[in-house]
Amino acid sequence: MKLNWFTRKGIIYWPASIIGWVILVLALAYAIYTFIDIDSRSHSGSDTMINFVFNLLLIGLIYTVIAYFTEARKVD
Amino acid sequence: MKEKDEFLKQMENLKVPEVNPNEHPQMVKMAIMNAGRSAALGVWLIVVPCYFLFCVFMYYFSHIRVGSSWFAAMFTLMASLDKTRYIDFLGPVIMVVLPIICIIINGLAITHVSVLRPGPDQSKVREFNITIKIRVWNILLILVSLAILGIFISYVMTENISISN
Repeated sequence: MKLNWFTRKGIIYWPASIIGWVILVLALAYAIYTFIDIDSRSHSGSDTMINFVFNLLLIGLIYTVIAYFTEARKVD
Repeated sequence: MKEKDEFLKQMENLKVPEVNPNEHPQMVKMAIMNAGRSAALGVWLIVVPCYFLFCVFMYYFSHIRVGSSWFAAMFTLMASLDKTRYIDFLGPVIMVVLPIICIIINGLAITHVSVLRPGPDQSKVREFNITIKIRVWNILLILVSLAILGIFISYVMTENISISN
């Protein structure tokens, strides 16, 4: 099954369809929720940032893996 | 008659190009995976363990005390991950599985493997050729992944030795 949800520019995948945009918005929403959750439990700004960046990179990794398998492939 | 002789003489003096049938034919060496796509995913696969190691380094350099070491900082962080419910599996996955996937996909993107006959007169002989394309980003990602794996394996060995002692 050929899915064209994302297009790749460099190492970043951009949405190319409505489903792609939905996935990107969900990822951003989860990242914001994670930030608020970590910030409410952390003791300092650096503590928040260290844990949040770790989570943000994991969200970016999962997003990229989904985009990798559903990207529109160019014919060389 | 004279023209015919000249023509025949010209034809006899023609230089025929030499063709060597034993010469190796040119071939297109296709890799199994796309190098650009593999590099893009590879960056995201190793950015998490790289960030983790960066945090460990920062922890070490900001907590300089007698008896502490780089491995001690890593013990603390890995132990805290192990103790946290639902993400206790995350440490080994980040430090081992992701770099291994990165090595595999980037390795497949730059490697071409073929089995060939060296010549028409050697029907029973086979040559196994491995060609590695020099693509800087893919090779760099493989080397960084190997470094991450090496650091984690040395950490596990050191931990086991310290526990057994």
